[in-house]
Amino acid sequence: MTFFALDRVSVTFGGVAAVRELSSVLEQGEIRGLIGPNGAGKTSLINAITGLVPLSGGRILLEGREINMLAPHRIAALGIGRTFQHVEIFTDQTVLINVMTGLHRHLSHGLCSSALMLPVARRGEAAAREEAETLLEAFNLRSYRDVVAGDLPFGILKRLDLARALAARPRLLLLDEPTSGMSEVEAAETIATARGLARDRAITLLVIEHNMRVIMALADRLTVLDHGEKIAEGTPAQVQDDPLVIDAYLGDQTDA
Amino acid sequence: MRSTRLTWLVLAALLLAVPPALGTYELYVVNIALVNIVLAIGLNVLTGNAGQISLCNSSFMAIGAYACTLLTVRLGLSFWLALPVGGVVAAAFGCVLALPAMRLTGFYLALATLGFLEITQIMIEEFPDITGGIRGMIAPRPTLFGWKFGSDLALYYIIMPIVVGLALVARNLLRSPVGRSFDAIRNSVPAAQSLGISPERTKLIAFAIAALYAGIAGGLGAAIVGFIDPVEYGAGASLRHITFIVVGGMGSLLGSIVGAVVLTLLPELLRGLKEYSDFVYAALLLAFLIFLPQGLVGLGPKLARLRRNDRTVGQTLEPERGTS
Repeated sequence: MTFFALDRVSVTFGGVAAVRELSSVLEQGEIRGLIGPNGAGKTSLINAITGLVPLSGGRILLEGREINMLAPHRIAALGIGRTFQHVEIFTDQTVLINVMTGLHRHLSHGLCSSALMLPVARRGEAAAREEAETLLEAFNLRSYRDVVAGDLPFGILKRLDLARALAARPRLLLLDEPTSGMSEVEAAETIATARGLARDRAITLLVIEHNMRVIMALADRLTVLDHGEKIAEGTPAQVQDDPLVIDAYLGDQTDA
Repeated sequence: MRSTRLTWLVLAALLLAVPPALGTYELYVVNIALVNIVLAIGLNVLTGNAGQISLCNSSFMAIGAYACTLLTVRLGLSFWLALPVGGVVAAAFGCVLALPAMRLTGFYLALATLGFLEITQIMIEEFPDITGGIRGMIAPRPTLFGWKFGSDLALYYIIMPIVVGLALVARNLLRSPVGRSFDAIRNSVPAAQSLGISPERTKLIAFAIAALYAGIAGGLGAAIVGFIDPVEYGAGASLRHITFIVVGGMGSLLGSIVGAVVLTLLPELLRGLKEYSDFVYAALLLAFLIFLPQGLVGLGPKLARLRRNDRTVGQTLEPERGTS
């Protein structure tokens, strides 16, 4: 069965089409790059997949199941996670608590056992803390563990956003410009970590990325959007040579 | 670790040993302060942690007070059963109020809760045969196996452990997945949703907890005062509960306790100033808000930072290292 499919997906904001009749299929475990000039509809597509904006047409299917009618938290519960372009961090909580919040739907100790601090709640919290610490370690965030997230610079928050999203153990993870605000070195490290974790856990990645060098090295396949429409799809090498892409997107980047 | 245990022991000893030395009126004030702590804790979970404005905390207090009193007076139920039942009834109304709250935020939510407050007041006033209406009704002192908790000291010794228990439950909840989901929806609804947290369910739980605490506080308050009437539970009372948590510290359990205690004792301490007492109270309130926007609990870290800055003049502030 197809792992994840977009079937003629359209997103419209007040008569303006952000995404037009987009169809694409993602294989389980693949790393897909989503590229296109500013305003091409990349973030709108991620918002539509995660249920934050309604579709004006088409269907989104996860393992054959239509998910576009579901509430955002239900879509997340099916294993679709995301990070945010401008980070949506729980700013007045510590780095550790942010990541532990990511584990929310995997913690089985509920209201009553927590209220009374029953052994099951104690054990659950200890396990959650341990798992969160492992992720902090992986993303080099350990030294910020007890720092309130709002006090940290953007580049570190991007890493935290990623660590928190992975804590939710997604099967499909949507990354919205995961390396923006990072130095080249930081970006390379972060991408290597994310890719390693994704491969280990068989997580399918859909990555929006402006840094062409990063995305060409990372992605198995690329989907190129322009004005909300898919203009090309294929391996990085195929897409790179596509005249439509060069015209619409890479052509603008000659100075980069 | 040892020093914190010592702190708790000292605190427990004070809570147990000091009250017998107090006079009747002082004990009455202490008991009221305990009830206010419960009100503040519940409201702070809802407003400080889950980020939901409520102008009807006093209505849940009223529901708890009337449910508890009516069950004991009209149905002859034991106070010890009626008190938790009153809390549960209030929590049920909290869930009902959460239904519109799921779709409303900010001013609109504030107005909806104000509407709920008015409805509660009207319901109490319009059924005088049951509730005593605007003239109120006598709330009997609780009894246990025929022994009446007649004195304020006896009441203190049953209220204090209940309040300590409720504070511990709140602490446990705030350190649990439920507590983290409260802070998550206050900080960012889309981020919370992306992690599988339902904002609707989270709001429902927060309203239920605030209402449960206010309901139990209502039952306890009725037992202390010995009388209930709708005027006690008006908008003014709700606003007073909000000042508890704002002055104490939003989203902080310690803040709820400190705010409720300070603002209950302050008017008593200012009594000597006679006609100036209200003026000084208001001035102090404004001073707290201007100089301590984080609440009284923000005072500790502020002082610590001042001291640290003294020692490390000219050095850049590194992020604090985790204990590993």
